[in-house]
Amino acid sequence: MNWIFKQIRKETWSPYAAGILLGIVGILAVLLSNALLGASGAFENLAGLLGKAIAPKAFDTLYFNFVMPPGITWGVILLVGVFFGGMLGAASSRTLKWGSKDAANSDPQWKRIFGPQVWKRWTLGFLGAIILEYAAGIAGGCTSGLAISGGMLLVPAAFLFIAGMFASGILTALLIYRKGY
Amino acid sequence: MNYLIALCLGAFFGFALNKAGLTQYNKIVNQFRFTDMAVLKFMMTALVVAMIGLYGLRGLGLVTFPPVPSTYILGNLVGGLIFGIGMALTGY
Repeated sequence: MNWIFKQIRKETWSPYAAGILLGIVGILAVLLSNALLGASGAFENLAGLLGKAIAPKAFDTLYFNFVMPPGITWGVILLVGVFFGGMLGAASSRTLKWGSKDAANSDPQWKRIFGPQVWKRWTLGFLGAIILEYAAGIAGGCTSGLAISGGMLLVPAAFLFIAGMFASGILTALLIYRKGY
Repeated sequence: MNYLIALCLGAFFGFALNKAGLTQYNKIVNQFRFTDMAVLKFMMTALVVAMIGLYGLRGLGLVTFPPVPSTYILGNLVGGLIFGIGMALTGY
């Protein structure tokens, strides 16, 4: 019992151990709810909900009517759980930065590359997230929804997506880090 | 009931991500620099475990697979290419 508490309080587990936990969660999602884990789709459901309320005409498209119907879906609730689960994980290892001074821009490596300014972190985070969500819309899923959930059902799309993700990710990292790569 | 399951599974999902360190910028971007392989180890372990479990359960007739993400080669590939840019920039 003590051993379990000691493990939970650790800041980082071996990625293999955490991966096994995620694998089990993926199995349970299919077994209990007949659903696949995913994150990007839920944001589209929420965006559709918001868009239909504000500008119903602009959102009366094929995509928002049939591909990603708006609403509080299973995935949206899953996201709420992810948020609190992540917080719980950080709190259990006492690395939760809620309210602390460097909470808005805490990563030392980020500060070294881009500078310590908070606005830079938030601007780039916002723009990058737009790129991510847009790309996820094109591909039909994100890292969790397509690469992991698709991959575990051996869908070819997942492996195409992973290949593309690494190709451009490596290139972007090369451009950012240059000599430091 | 279904929503309660989603909430619980989501919590474990977030917990696993946090414990693997994937909530940090440096873990994601260092994967693309190949100085820290945590992302790939985490993803592939999850894939293998879930694959074995799901295909085993289907073999026993206990589950039917939900509708799988559809494959359209250009879309998946282009989407992945754009996705990688965002991922390396933000570390999300």
